[in-house]
Amino acid sequence: MKLRLFALVMVATLLLAACGGGAKPAAGGAPAEISMMMWGDPAELDVWNQIVADFQQVNPNIKVKVEVSDWDSYWTKLKTLLAAGTPPDVFAIDAPLYLDYQSRGALLNLQPYLDKNPDMLNGVYPQTLEAYKTADGMFGLPRDFQTIVLFYNKDMFDAAGLAYPTSDWTYVELRNAAKQLTKDTNSDGKMDQFGFYADLWDMELIWSEAIWAYGGDIINADHTKTLIGEPKAREAWQMFHDMMFEDMSWPDSNLAGEYGGDPFLAGVAAMTTIGHWVVPGYAEVKFKWDVAPMPKGPAGQATSVNSAGFVVAKDSKSPDASFEFLKYVLSEPAQKRLAELGFACPVLKSVAEGDAFLKQSTPIDHKVFLDSLAFARMKPVFKGYDEWSSAIGDGMATIWTGEAELGPTLDTAVTAADEVLASNK
Amino acid sequence: MTKQRQKLVLDIISYAVLLLGAVLMVGPFLWMVSTSFKLPGDQFTKTLIPPAFTLNNFRELFSVDLNFPLLFWNSAYISILITVGQLITCAMAAFCFAVVKFNGRNLLFTLLLLTMLIPPQVTLIPNFIIFKYLHLVGTSVPLWLPAFWGGAFGTFLLRQYFLTIPRDLVDAARVDGASLLQIFWKIYMPLGKPALAALAIFTFQGAWNDLLHPLVYMPSVPNTMLTVGLAFFQQQMTHGGKFTVLMAGALISILPLLIVFFFAQKQFIEGISLRGLKRRQTRGACKRS
Amino acid sequence: MDYGLKPLGRERFWLFALLAPTGIGLVFGALGSVVATVLLSFANWDLLTPPTWAGLVNYANLFKDPKILLSLTNTFKFAAMYVPGVVIVSLFVAVLMNRKIRGVSLFRTAYFLPAVTSAVATALVWNMIYGRDTGVLNFILERFGLQPVCWLCSGNAMYAVVLVNIWGAIGEGMIIFLAGLTAIPREYYEAAEMDGANDLQQFFRITLPLVTPSIFFQTLMATINAFQAYDYIYMLTRRGQGDSSVPVVVFSIYRNAWNFFNYGGASAQAIELTVLVAALMVFYFWLERRYVVYE
Repeated sequence: MKLRLFALVMVATLLLAACGGGAKPAAGGAPAEISMMMWGDPAELDVWNQIVADFQQVNPNIKVKVEVSDWDSYWTKLKTLLAAGTPPDVFAIDAPLYLDYQSRGALLNLQPYLDKNPDMLNGVYPQTLEAYKTADGMFGLPRDFQTIVLFYNKDMFDAAGLAYPTSDWTYVELRNAAKQLTKDTNSDGKMDQFGFYADLWDMELIWSEAIWAYGGDIINADHTKTLIGEPKAREAWQMFHDMMFEDMSWPDSNLAGEYGGDPFLAGVAAMTTIGHWVVPGYAEVKFKWDVAPMPKGPAGQATSVNSAGFVVAKDSKSPDASFEFLKYVLSEPAQKRLAELGFACPVLKSVAEGDAFLKQSTPIDHKVFLDSLAFARMKPVFKGYDEWSSAIGDGMATIWTGEAELGPTLDTAVTAADEVLASNK
Repeated sequence: MTKQRQKLVLDIISYAVLLLGAVLMVGPFLWMVSTSFKLPGDQFTKTLIPPAFTLNNFRELFSVDLNFPLLFWNSAYISILITVGQLITCAMAAFCFAVVKFNGRNLLFTLLLLTMLIPPQVTLIPNFIIFKYLHLVGTSVPLWLPAFWGGAFGTFLLRQYFLTIPRDLVDAARVDGASLLQIFWKIYMPLGKPALAALAIFTFQGAWNDLLHPLVYMPSVPNTMLTVGLAFFQQQMTHGGKFTVLMAGALISILPLLIVFFFAQKQFIEGISLRGLKRRQTRGACKRS
Repeated sequence: MDYGLKPLGRERFWLFALLAPTGIGLVFGALGSVVATVLLSFANWDLLTPPTWAGLVNYANLFKDPKILLSLTNTFKFAAMYVPGVVIVSLFVAVLMNRKIRGVSLFRTAYFLPAVTSAVATALVWNMIYGRDTGVLNFILERFGLQPVCWLCSGNAMYAVVLVNIWGAIGEGMIIFLAGLTAIPREYYEAAEMDGANDLQQFFRITLPLVTPSIFFQTLMATINAFQAYDYIYMLTRRGQGDSSVPVVVFSIYRNAWNFFNYGGASAQAIELTVLVAALMVFYFWLERRYVVYE
């Protein structure tokens, strides 16, 4: 009796299992079905569906399944699928995290395909390809790039009678303007308009650029030593600190949190440094704004270039089809659609310098993003990047809430970061 | 003070305390509701009444191409399946743990409780691999099938409650020749209504608000659960600084839970009266000496 | 607590049938989670390459890494405040609501409301409430002439977060206790009234002892929840890439497993967490034997 019941239950479970089931990728060759995963917004999902539709018209043998999630969900799902051995064929990657996956053998080497298509990358900005080059070849390809520029609130500048930032601005001028733009507009004793705000946790937003502009560097060439505590870099940190706690022109992270994390968007900060991904979101604000290149430091002008790209899973059952898709993403029609979306800058020069990008719906000076490539440096890419940047971000966080001193805390953070580097070698 | 007076005073104090507490509990919600009717420009104002009342946030919510009806339907049927599964299997197991003597009862119960202790973020991948081998990834089955295999929380909750049901009832029934199954079905299930209702509420709510499991097991938006759809959508709203729309979305997802709760809590009242009745019956039957 | 009916004859089959689903669940639950986690805790796994044996390295780290120790301390502090807070407040509320006052179902809904939403949405509201310069709490404080407080700064963040978690959990606890209170027969109270006992005496002599099964349940669940608390803490104190100013154990587990490619370390921490809570559970069971009254 007992055995029978047990057997019944087992059979039932197996039946259910057999009835369920997902799609299986076809074997390589003519008809193929590939799955593509990326992070994005609902607006991006629409555009990618269109790109996929175009692609399928040109390649009627290949079907692409598109899956888009928000940033946090994306990485959770991707890693789960990878850990279980069922990764998507094509998935999106952020350049700094690329080596974490490549070094662990999760990605397909695209070099053989690239060798067969020697002219494929000719029209692409070379700076965007750097991050994906390894000793064994390229394991990924960029699809768009970001450079960090200075955003400014025109209305606030007008009200204060200040001239807009120019491409000759230095950090000194930035600081002065920020001071003048910090006001207590309703006379309640508290500042409610600030001159400047930028995120200090992730280096991409301001601190890597400032360190470079002051003549310092982030990490050494073979990724064994963290350099953000060196003297020239310290000048940059000191300037941030003074702006925040002496000039009071830069609200601390607690206050920023009260405005949803972006005081510029909330109309509370007059300037910020950030990339092109915010443009569609910023398009709906009530104030007039525009962009200017990053200011110059004592050692010159510097900004950060980063890209989002696609990679192919090593165990993909349709590598040829997957590569075809990557190739299509770099073609003009696809790049044009992405440019119109407005979240990033196209990597294909002809599209970036064309109307699709420069004359997109938000009427600002998009060329600034492209011109910034001339003095842009690559966001560091290496194995263990996530853990290393967390050590720094965590370690420095208490400085920016005013609870810890700059000097000693910076030293501790550098030590912690170096430990991570050592453990990842 | 007379007994009446004393009772009245205590009632008033209770009322006042409960009212104050209710304001604290509901306060943040009132603000959520009011924010969802404000213009994005006003979203950081501290007034409860929107300076400019608008329905745009809800319009924007539904204009996004996210197929809300499908998201709602998925969340609904999956949550219902999970709740039904848990109610049935946990009640069965709780009855055994509370009422039936068998070897290894305590050991089994302890083992069951232990499974609750490991954080879900860590059990996700091993479980995922199991379902991968069963070829169930990409469907909603991994979400509700485990609900039909019992659950530590539900069993524990019901077991505690079942233990408070007076044993003389059971003994009397046994004397009358009732079988285990009859005792389960005719005594414990009716008398257990309050705890069953509580379990139904918690299970439904836990299933409805789950983000992690539908994220990894179900296909991507739009054929997934409401939580995943909202997370996807919220990112866009945060980038655009439109917290008003975010609040509108959150409100929409709460409504079904509130409805379920409102109906389920009626069971409490039933349970109370049923209790009193049964007791009177037994007392009458046994202590008629 | 040795009470139990002995199954007679063919009833043994039904006993087995009733327990079978849970049994299957235990097998998968044990295999899927506990065993896998234990095995992985002795390994180095980066999710992408096959796991390699690591021996006791992960466990050694548990005692050496200051971040892990900090998260453990935070978790204990959090639990010490949260568990009594939740149990006492929700019991208090349930008892008050049990007094047959008018509009009780409205009150029940009001108190249950916080438990119903997802932490993401309400946390945003709490951020706005707790904000130092623009928050509602400080706004009210200043109206009364008091100094504004930085609620989410390092010193106060722990308390602020405990408060929000309690706020979110009162509803559930209230339901549990309401269900438990219905189990207490009215006749006891009636008899006590006739004997001249006042309300307070009734509470301590009748209500409290007879609601101990629910207290036991609620305390154990609150402890488990305290050790696994994540959502509200994350939303209120996060600082980028999964860090927080009040890191608790689950943070550390999450970051190691999902951001740092260190699933083995995360598993070891999870086991550590399980062992600690299991020890508490043993303690609670001992208390159950001594203090919990079943009819």
